[in-house]
Amino acid sequence: MDLDLKKLTKDLVKIVGKENAFTDKPTALTYAKDTMPWDVEEHNMPYAVVRPSNSQEIAHVLRYANEKKIPVHTHGSGTSLVGLGRPKTHCIVLDTGRMKELEVFPERGYFEVGAGYHIAKLRKALEPYNALLPAFPGSELVATIGGVVSVNTSAHAVDASLFKPGDYVLGMEVVLPTGEILQTGTESPRKPAGIEATKFLVGSEGLLCVICKIRMRLIPLPQIQNIVAYYNSTDDILDTVMNMYSQGIPTPMFFEYLDEKSSKVGFEAVGLEPPPGAVAMMAMHSQTKAGCEEKAKIFLEFLQSGHPIEAKIVTDKKEWNQIWSSRAEAGNYLYRLGSTFGSEITVRADKLKEAFHEAQDIILNLDSYKGNEFYSFGHIGAPTIHAYAFIPTKDIPNETKIAVAKEVREKTEALNIKYGGCGGEWGLTAQRATFLKRKYGEAYYDLLVKLKNALDPNNILNRGNLEGWM
Amino acid sequence: MDVNTRQDKIETLLKEVAKCRSCRFCVDVCPTYQASEGLESMSAYGRLQIIKYLLMGVLSFDDPLTYTLYSCLQCRRCENICKSKGQNIDICSIIQLGRSLLSRELLEGSGHEKI
Repeated sequence: MDLDLKKLTKDLVKIVGKENAFTDKPTALTYAKDTMPWDVEEHNMPYAVVRPSNSQEIAHVLRYANEKKIPVHTHGSGTSLVGLGRPKTHCIVLDTGRMKELEVFPERGYFEVGAGYHIAKLRKALEPYNALLPAFPGSELVATIGGVVSVNTSAHAVDASLFKPGDYVLGMEVVLPTGEILQTGTESPRKPAGIEATKFLVGSEGLLCVICKIRMRLIPLPQIQNIVAYYNSTDDILDTVMNMYSQGIPTPMFFEYLDEKSSKVGFEAVGLEPPPGAVAMMAMHSQTKAGCEEKAKIFLEFLQSGHPIEAKIVTDKKEWNQIWSSRAEAGNYLYRLGSTFGSEITVRADKLKEAFHEAQDIILNLDSYKGNEFYSFGHIGAPTIHAYAFIPTKDIPNETKIAVAKEVREKTEALNIKYGGCGGEWGLTAQRATFLKRKYGEAYYDLLVKLKNALDPNNILNRGNLEGWM
Repeated sequence: MDVNTRQDKIETLLKEVAKCRSCRFCVDVCPTYQASEGLESMSAYGRLQIIKYLLMGVLSFDDPLTYTLYSCLQCRRCENICKSKGQNIDICSIIQLGRSLLSRELLEGSGHEKI
């Protein structure tokens, strides 16, 4: 596109002010990159970055973009793991970072928050209201509530216990791609039944609207009892998860694990003695202390069927913090030691073990790289299998990184299809457009395209994601 | 980092910057990021990317780039979070080396007219 950058700058400055419109290359570049190993290429470079403060300014930007046929890429914090955060074409990046207003209405049972509020800060801001924020991305230090709702990710939480963040969204203020500002949902604790826009705009991954403000239910903070279980092998943990679902055992809020190798990395990272094998960590929740203790006791008894070396309730806060942190730190430290290539396989509960071993075989027999290692850790109780290819050096060519990332993605997504899963928490478009066609068929994909066209006739918003870019 | 020649500096910088996985955990602790209401090019992450793409030839020295590199306060809060989250990158040293390269360019008069 032949674009007059000076004119664009002038026009955008008129909309958001000169302090909030950037067309310099260094600023544009920092918004062009995500966690994927692909370097920024010329076609990823945004024309401009705008930082609106409210829905009216966003509406103005989108009307302008439609008139000029310039794509707009919405940016929360850019921490999505599968390419959603990266512009796929020259565009205006719309950074929601200035929309950080928060109002809490205890008497109404909800809070309203701007899309750019960071999750960790929001969790802290809700503490005085004794409220649980039902969003647990690993990137919560910087991830935004707008991004979480846009992808509708429960991340580390077990869906069967806590559902999805979207289930707690009462309403939203959004701007459609053509510039109309919509209020959706309700201000009542009672959610609308039937067809209602909140339901399909939550989780629409920035394809159908820009989420500006979110009204979310205040959830009373539950009581928690923590359990750690040490096992000889990961297989015992897989059996336990499968039995948990097949026997209808009440599920924990979190059910994380480290496989035999990851546990050593994670425990060492937090200063603990390496455990003998795999480790599972569970957080049991209930609204009352007595209920929580009872639930934890029942779960502890159930865990014995998986033959742990040891399983115990951990009440010491410091001890639990160390154990719990080891899960997060395993991933961080592995990355320090080399290069990791992740996958996300969410399978039928009764196929967990079978799928896990197939994933292990795939990772250990890659065509694109020989000699890598296999690690796995994460939200096994959800159930999610994160199977990682680990190469113990960072000194590998970028082309090799890309080849490994593609092979891991293609082969592990075949497992999602084979075993009834859909990928899960990392979003479904961008990297996964071809997966959608393979899993659900052309008619399903066409339906998404029609939906997109109906709301965004000029394909302005997040262009390239639904089309697929890998 | 004990480097003396320009080429050594470039190689050291590229090697160090390659460690960054763009997790952006460092952005929120950066005082200039906070002061700019969350502009990513004014964060440690942003500066690392800018240095990387400058060395790769995608970016060139200009006023915004100079401002970005020289606005770093060298407070090392980014390094603390980078260390605690596993990467342990010497972010401030990298930015210092980036500045040193920039200074040389400026001394040699690389068409940077406004300085």
